[in-house]
Amino acid sequence: MILADKKTGVIVTGATGRQGLFHIRLMNEYAAEVGGIGVVAGVTPGKGGQDAAGVPVYDSIRAALKEHDADASVIFVPSGAAGDSIMESAANGLSLAVAITEHIPVHDTMKALAFARLCGTTVIGPNCPGLLSPGAAKLGIMPPHLATPGPVGVISRSGTLTYEIVDELTKAGIGQSTVVGIGGDPVIGSTFTDVLARFERDPATKAVVLVGEVGGALEQEGAASTSLPVVAYVAGVSAPPDKRMGHAGAIVEGGEGDARSKIRALEAMGVTVASRPSEIPALVRTLL
Amino acid sequence: MKLREYEGKRVFAEAGIPVPMGRVIRSVEELGDLSAFGDEVVLKAQVDVGGRGKAGGVVICPTSEARDRAAALFGITIKGLAVTEVLVEERLRIEHEYYCAVMIDRSTRQPVVLFTEAGGVEIEETARTDPDRIRRIGVLPLLTELPPFTVRDLIGREPKALGPVVSALYRAFLAKDALLAEINPLVLLEDGRVLAADAKVIVDDNALARQGIQRNRDLTEREAEAERHGFSYVELDGEIGVVGNGAGLTMATLDLIEHYDLRAANFLDVGGGADRERVAHAVRLLASSPGVRVIIVNLLGGITRCDEVARGIIDAGVAQRVIVRMAGTNEAEGRALLMEHGYEMYDSMDRAVAAAAEARR
Repeated sequence: MILADKKTGVIVTGATGRQGLFHIRLMNEYAAEVGGIGVVAGVTPGKGGQDAAGVPVYDSIRAALKEHDADASVIFVPSGAAGDSIMESAANGLSLAVAITEHIPVHDTMKALAFARLCGTTVIGPNCPGLLSPGAAKLGIMPPHLATPGPVGVISRSGTLTYEIVDELTKAGIGQSTVVGIGGDPVIGSTFTDVLARFERDPATKAVVLVGEVGGALEQEGAASTSLPVVAYVAGVSAPPDKRMGHAGAIVEGGEGDARSKIRALEAMGVTVASRPSEIPALVRTLL
Repeated sequence: MKLREYEGKRVFAEAGIPVPMGRVIRSVEELGDLSAFGDEVVLKAQVDVGGRGKAGGVVICPTSEARDRAAALFGITIKGLAVTEVLVEERLRIEHEYYCAVMIDRSTRQPVVLFTEAGGVEIEETARTDPDRIRRIGVLPLLTELPPFTVRDLIGREPKALGPVVSALYRAFLAKDALLAEINPLVLLEDGRVLAADAKVIVDDNALARQGIQRNRDLTEREAEAERHGFSYVELDGEIGVVGNGAGLTMATLDLIEHYDLRAANFLDVGGGADRERVAHAVRLLASSPGVRVIIVNLLGGITRCDEVARGIIDAGVAQRVIVRMAGTNEAEGRALLMEHGYEMYDSMDRAVAAAAEARR
């Protein structure tokens, strides 16, 4: 298991919005089920003193940390202020910030990530579903009941496609150590490479499923960086060039980042590549 | 969103980058007095596609012929697009062509500035065959100006007048929330002036609101409709309409359709919280596309309520065959509703797409 466990205390920013309220409740239902700490406080500027789905709300992370111990933030703040929320998390010494928010301007993201790096804060996302260590911790919006504990790490640029693949793995009797949605934006805090390095240090993770898509070359860079056995799937073989396929980062530009060339590059380094999601469990089993 | 050349040049001019003397016209009548342009002018069609030069979209002519040549330019189409705007510019006497760009490097999560003395139309070839000729320097995103040493490292021993242009391009990149700000060619003229002979600026779609830029000017009717409902939508040219939730799952569905030798008509991601109304809008939107024979709805997620989705599909009541795959809360109720109304529902995306393929045979 990586990034978070039962002892991880969480602050949710953007706590009093619709998404924030809904997911504080779901995260704490899961924490209660697995015996974890879960969300200890919420933050919304100007709403300090209120209650959000059973947790106290503060005006700032700084104020919340005076009353609570926390290691991580989960960010639901609207796009215009989410970069600031990443920096606030980092400046207050949280070791992990998980940014769920979509549509953050990429210049805000670059600035916030550079700042977080200076503070030594790990950022997951933005534009991601967060992470789930089955049976231990859920930071984000993943539906936890499709997952089951086990030896396979999952790293994905996608949301629902990740749930699809986790569901297939679970139905095939293959459990997961941690499932990490790294986000669909072009610039993200933790790449495949970063998360693979953590899985490599995690004794419970024996193999990794890498779920990529069109755009950039982070899949190849990640696969080249690890000695763990990897099964990859790359979405967007049929994606036309120069069209953004839903995610800000899912675009073939200047003839680069198309799915077929990614698949060729992955296969050239000995990575097993599934041609559709349903093939993944059988391919993973050959590596365990 | 990619700005047109004249819009990009306006951005450059605001940042202090010299650009050619010029004006945009929307009809020949707007040409006006061209005496300031000298003996020759350049007419450049402003269309949102590459390769316009080869398609006859750039004309260099004596000023006396500008009227006739502009009239001809307004009459042509370039890769299917009508020419509605023409940029009229002074003819440049070029001594040398450089290339300068600022873009975003995903791997290092920061802007990178590119410069080469080998600018011009062959830049892509140079990038492929001789990448070391293009200098690339990353910039810490916390800086609001290029450090002078970075500018020196980029331009080397080339004329010093290039330095302020490189700095200004970086400022424009930051000020405009650009994903790309590119000058190719950046020209040194025979009279010693340096200016941006072309402009390519792509603005982050997520920053259009704060930049005060109106999104996507040239939408088809269905694209505009999708935009109104907040769907991510891309038109393709096949026969299978696709509604999914989540970009990755929707792309994977498209790939599976191709895997079965079928062709998708579109990419449509309804986004999170797919409820009755949104699903109905999405299904109707696809049904209105000519050539759509079958619609595949593929929805997955912990919080998607399958009975709501089923009601949306039934509400839409479209004539085409609708094949549904969904999983989530109230799945059994959703299935029962769909069956009752004669719709097919499958529990895996493979089976749903296979059913569409089966029917074609």
